[in-house]
Amino acid sequence: MLRFLLQRGAQALIAAFGVVTLVFFIQRLTGDPTALMLPETATQADIEAMRATLGLDRPLWAQYVGFLGDMASFDLGRSFVQNASVWEIISSRIPRTLQLAAGALGVALLIGLPLGLLMALTAGRTISRWIMGLVLACQSMPTFWSGIMMILVFGVWLRWLPSSGTGTFAHLVMPSIALGLLSLATYARITRSAVVDELGKDYVRSARARGVGPGRLVRKHLMRNSLIPIISITALEISQLLAGAVIVETVFAWPGLGLLTVQSIAARDFVVVQAVVLLGAFVTIAANLAADILYSIVDPRVRLAGQ
Amino acid sequence: MKYNLKGMLTGAALAVFATPLFTTTAMAGGITIDLAGEPATMDPHKQWNPTSYYVYRNIFDNILTRDNDGQIMGQIATSWNQASDSTLELTIREGVTFHDGEALEPSDVVFSVKRITNPDFGSPQLGQFNKIVDASADGNVVTLTTDGPYPALMAQLVKLSIVPEHVVEAVGDDAFNAAPVGSGAYAFSEWDRGVSVTLTRNDNYWGDKGPFDTAVFRAVPDEATRVADLQAGTADLVVSINSDAAAQLASDSAVIVLSAPTERVGYMGLNLDKPPFNNKEMRRAASLAIDRLGITEGLLQAGEIPMAQMASPAHFGYNPDVPAFEYNLDAAKAITAANPDLAATPATLATAPVFDQRIVQALQQMLNDAGFNISISMTDMPTYLGIVRSDPAENSELSFGRWSCACQDADGIAYPVLHSASNWSRVNVPELDAFLETARASLDTEVRQAAYNEVHQMVRDNYYTLPLYQAAVLYGATAGLAFEPTANESMFLNRMTMSK
Repeated sequence: MLRFLLQRGAQALIAAFGVVTLVFFIQRLTGDPTALMLPETATQADIEAMRATLGLDRPLWAQYVGFLGDMASFDLGRSFVQNASVWEIISSRIPRTLQLAAGALGVALLIGLPLGLLMALTAGRTISRWIMGLVLACQSMPTFWSGIMMILVFGVWLRWLPSSGTGTFAHLVMPSIALGLLSLATYARITRSAVVDELGKDYVRSARARGVGPGRLVRKHLMRNSLIPIISITALEISQLLAGAVIVETVFAWPGLGLLTVQSIAARDFVVVQAVVLLGAFVTIAANLAADILYSIVDPRVRLAGQ
Repeated sequence: MKYNLKGMLTGAALAVFATPLFTTTAMAGGITIDLAGEPATMDPHKQWNPTSYYVYRNIFDNILTRDNDGQIMGQIATSWNQASDSTLELTIREGVTFHDGEALEPSDVVFSVKRITNPDFGSPQLGQFNKIVDASADGNVVTLTTDGPYPALMAQLVKLSIVPEHVVEAVGDDAFNAAPVGSGAYAFSEWDRGVSVTLTRNDNYWGDKGPFDTAVFRAVPDEATRVADLQAGTADLVVSINSDAAAQLASDSAVIVLSAPTERVGYMGLNLDKPPFNNKEMRRAASLAIDRLGITEGLLQAGEIPMAQMASPAHFGYNPDVPAFEYNLDAAKAITAANPDLAATPATLATAPVFDQRIVQALQQMLNDAGFNISISMTDMPTYLGIVRSDPAENSELSFGRWSCACQDADGIAYPVLHSASNWSRVNVPELDAFLETARASLDTEVRQAAYNEVHQMVRDNYYTLPLYQAAVLYGATAGLAFEPTANESMFLNRMTMSK
């Protein structure tokens, strides 16, 4: 296990290095942030002075070496636009992103898994087709539309839930559902497919022949053996959710990392974008590593590389 | 090894959802304002964007201010005297205290001026104040020295906020940005990054006190959500809505729509160094092809006013005698038909997503209907700014933009767009430069107005650039809120009242 973790840790460092290097150079090809920070009346001299203040007047290689030095000392730098440390800005967004990701994942798992199971157990029947239609509808609805519709119905007309913002559990409900609908559909379809595969296997027939009831069959046998693809999908979903849900965060004014990323890209706030991308790379790598470890827990036949 | 999945999930859920269960509503006597974004900074010397100054102008007093009619009036300075062409003496108001209880002294004014004009400080506003070369205090009089006559100085001082020297020196710029201390009608209370900024009323304010106990400025980037917040009653005032949203709100008796013409002027820049617009007749054809009234009343519908000069009635230097541009598509077609090669020359209209694309597409359509060969080049804002500031040879043939100097003086709009020394300008006419320089260098308002009259008429006669309209701004508000929008898009809480 230790050797496996060391190998994956080294791979993670190389991947993160590659990602931030790409982001560093690509961003600087896209334009000069000082143009957005100064009034229209700014002269070329004003622009040059601001570039010098931000260190953007240095050669690109010098900026890159400085950036690597900062990374090596865990210094994420200072935002060009917000005049605050990047860590301070990002750390204020991480709890909000975790809340929204957990809410969306909860919606997806708590509704998607039972729906998928139900579709598998009723395969070929009308109810299964109805549920599949519902799942497809969840997957097809654009988030910007479903979000606004929810706001109109539950926020403006019924006034059951706050229309936007953050701070209470009620604020979390609509964004979680809007974001979770897409994942819900994915879970339902993957679960259905995995359980249908398992239903045709010998051990299920044997269990039924031994008189194992449907509830116990699902809990003790079917679900456990169907978990591998669900875990794989969960790793992908978590990394996507934590990387930020731009549209949902924009519609519900939810101050997560996705919204921060988009705003920072628009403002050419290079250092913030670099830090968020770095964080996203680590989250993706960590989620996939966790999935690998969970495979071996769920199915002891799976061995981690190096064991 | 056993894994208690249920226990782990429960623990994780409790940790993540450790938030209050129920919605909190705005406190009685408070106001909630939805902005389109989060203030970039709270330090008034460190920013340049409307979202920041909506908030911080309630925390800080400025040297001067404008009333709702746009007239300059004293704020921290009670009176002023132009002692010479390059020195302005300001008498500082006595009895003003910062929110920490310390008195605001003339030395704080001097400190603020020197801070924002210090190149090492790196203020984005440096270009607006860098003509001030010295500031000094003698008693309660502060003397500002400029590098020559600077008629727009008063208009610029409307934007110069006074920060407390003792606080900035003690805590440093970063801590001051995180917890600013001013002398304004509202005091900084809390900044929940990415979410909101909360201010509380300064009961010791020297001027008109604010009507609200608290004011919460929230960052709500989506326009539809801001409108929904207003209709749901969770916001009292929302900014930056368009005419479609205004029409939606018009049917709701619980809310009102407020609008005002601003000092922003929408215009189409022409590249005078490249065909087809290096030809005056083709420029005239372009102007004749544009239906300005159709744009303002058919497309925008927020109270915009067609303009024929690079200034608006909100600017000093506006010339009311400049005649409106004529819309005559047939005349435009006749000109392009007489110059088929020039008309067929491919021309690019540069724009960026921040501008209203309905206007850009309408301009393209109108010009092509008249026989031009126009294509739109949409790029991100920094690229667009790079294009329109580049040398004429590399510049696009056309560009669409909206100009604001936030100073309400024609110098802030006509000089950068029309003077040959400006990197924004694609005009190189010595006579025009001379008028612009006269207006920039004279402290005599009559001389300045006369110079601007000439500038606007020359631009109108020669179609050096095509002014389109004076932009308007729309706000949505709860029906009980009395708020008068102004041309400089200020939002002073102590000028509002609320009746519920």
